[in-house]
Amino acid sequence: MAIAIGIDGVSKRYGDVQALGQVSLDIRAGEFFTLLGSSGCGKSTLLKLIGGFEAPDTGRLTFDGTDMARVPASRRPVNTVFQDLALFPHMSVGENVGYGLKLRGTAATERRRRVADALELVALGGFEDRDVSLMSGGQRQRVALARALIMEPGILLLDEPLTGLDERLRQQLRDEFGRLHKRTGATFVLVTHNQDEALTLSDRMAIMHQGRIVQTDTAEGFFSAPANGFVAQFLGLEPLLVPERVEDGRAIVAGQPIPVGEARPGAARPVVALRPDRLRLDASGTLELKVETVRFRGLSCDLRLSFSDGQTLTLSAPPEARHDHAVGQIVRIALAPDAALLIPPDDTATAGAQPAP
Amino acid sequence: MTARSNAATVWILVALAVALIYAPPVYLIAISLNPALQPGLPSLGDLSLKWYVALAGEGGLTRALRESLLVATITALAAVALALLAALAYLELRRGRTIWFLAMLLPLFVPGVIQGLALSVIFTRAGITPSALTVAAAHLLWAMPFAFIVILTSMTGLRPSWLMAAADLGANWWQRTRDITLPVLTPGLLSALIFAFLLSLNEFGRAFYLVGRQNTLPIELFGRMNSGADPTIYAISGAIFFVSLLCVGAIFLSARKRT
Repeated sequence: MAIAIGIDGVSKRYGDVQALGQVSLDIRAGEFFTLLGSSGCGKSTLLKLIGGFEAPDTGRLTFDGTDMARVPASRRPVNTVFQDLALFPHMSVGENVGYGLKLRGTAATERRRRVADALELVALGGFEDRDVSLMSGGQRQRVALARALIMEPGILLLDEPLTGLDERLRQQLRDEFGRLHKRTGATFVLVTHNQDEALTLSDRMAIMHQGRIVQTDTAEGFFSAPANGFVAQFLGLEPLLVPERVEDGRAIVAGQPIPVGEARPGAARPVVALRPDRLRLDASGTLELKVETVRFRGLSCDLRLSFSDGQTLTLSAPPEARHDHAVGQIVRIALAPDAALLIPPDDTATAGAQPAP
Repeated sequence: MTARSNAATVWILVALAVALIYAPPVYLIAISLNPALQPGLPSLGDLSLKWYVALAGEGGLTRALRESLLVATITALAAVALALLAALAYLELRRGRTIWFLAMLLPLFVPGVIQGLALSVIFTRAGITPSALTVAAAHLLWAMPFAFIVILTSMTGLRPSWLMAAADLGANWWQRTRDITLPVLTPGLLSALIFAFLLSLNEFGRAFYLVGRQNTLPIELFGRMNSGADPTIYAISGAIFFVSLLCVGAIFLSARKRT
């Protein structure tokens, strides 16, 4: 049965590196939850703590309310698909998949049947006797999945499981994760740096940065209300414009007003995040910008446009637009409703990506 | 110079080096085939297995050989068992790893003659009769660090994630060791076993202080060499040389079959 995970004030240090700082998070039973962040943000450490491969320095980890501090990895109702898959090289596919059941003492005939079922589930029926080292990346991936799923875990942990696969396989396996989640009903926790994976699969996700959770929300929630400039940039809500001032639901950037709806309180120096999908070239548009560069991208072309104070934004236009717009030309763009969001700036130390005024 | 003449030069040098290394033992084998009592190269028409036949009547040499094989077997088994435990401990350790590693290697740096003398004094004090076991005890100190290094080397092939995955699937420490660590280490354990066996078989300095009534083979050979001409020692050297050639050949063939 699916298990809810409670993480309460958990910290973890490796020498001088604070891998996790006071992380609190509730993952609901049966949900597909994603920990999203760039490498070194602490997402894998958090996964290791849930799996029981590392112990937290402080804080509490609970499964359905039960403290897990004294329960070793081997006795947790959790199974993991590891980043490097960790298939046992000296065992065949069938032995790999059946290893957990063997440890549980499942009888050989019953085990054979369930291994066959599990391989069937990941579309590898009949592969029992194959050598794992002779399989393709996608097949190995499926073996690792089958090996975890055969245990019928309450929680399945997926540690960057699609890294290193080509794009077609990624999409195929991504769909498979979704299907298996529905089918097994277990709580899935995915760790990834790929926002596409996170957005397509998750019920909810948390964006992590420097050992902390920056925001926890549904996919839609992140786009309608990113917590700050870091989240906005991470999800591609760019550019972040620094306004001269904010008044009456409008942010003034280089003298031009941008409607931002309701300003969220709390931020001393808010920035304007523009959703690139809600900007378009329009002769009757409200913003007047200068074309800096035009770059052909095949199915589209990117126009980099600048405000009079030097801040820039990139607009995706139809490929033909490259013939109509010359560098130095003044163009007008229109903003759809809710195109601009007024949010707190990126308050993390590694910022530096904010446009200089 | 062309690439071809370069390659030729390299091969000539290799051939010279091999000849240099193997000339003395081949010379030894040659004189073992000389029926004369004085060591010297036999004429081709004069080759004889006389001294090899005489080996059968040489109780002293065969007893020494048997003693050496016994000591080497005890040493190899004990050294590999202890080195395996030490390597497993190394795997679990985090902070104390370097200290542990150095502690295991320490006996290697005690000169053999000193180690032999020290053990001899202590065993005498403790009233322990010199025997195959006292020699094996000294050889254990000599061979175990080597076995430890060989096993640690093969442990680099053990991915931590395999152990994590086994734990994830419900394996406790013992099950992880049995099902993952040991199978991965098996080739390393075999190498360590052979290495420790050979180290013990060859050892002279420590054994010299610690043998009881029965000499080991190196001591017996040394003693006979100093006590006048006895071509049977060339014959037993030749025999051992052939047997080790056969072993190496067998290992080479089985390794080729596997890959």
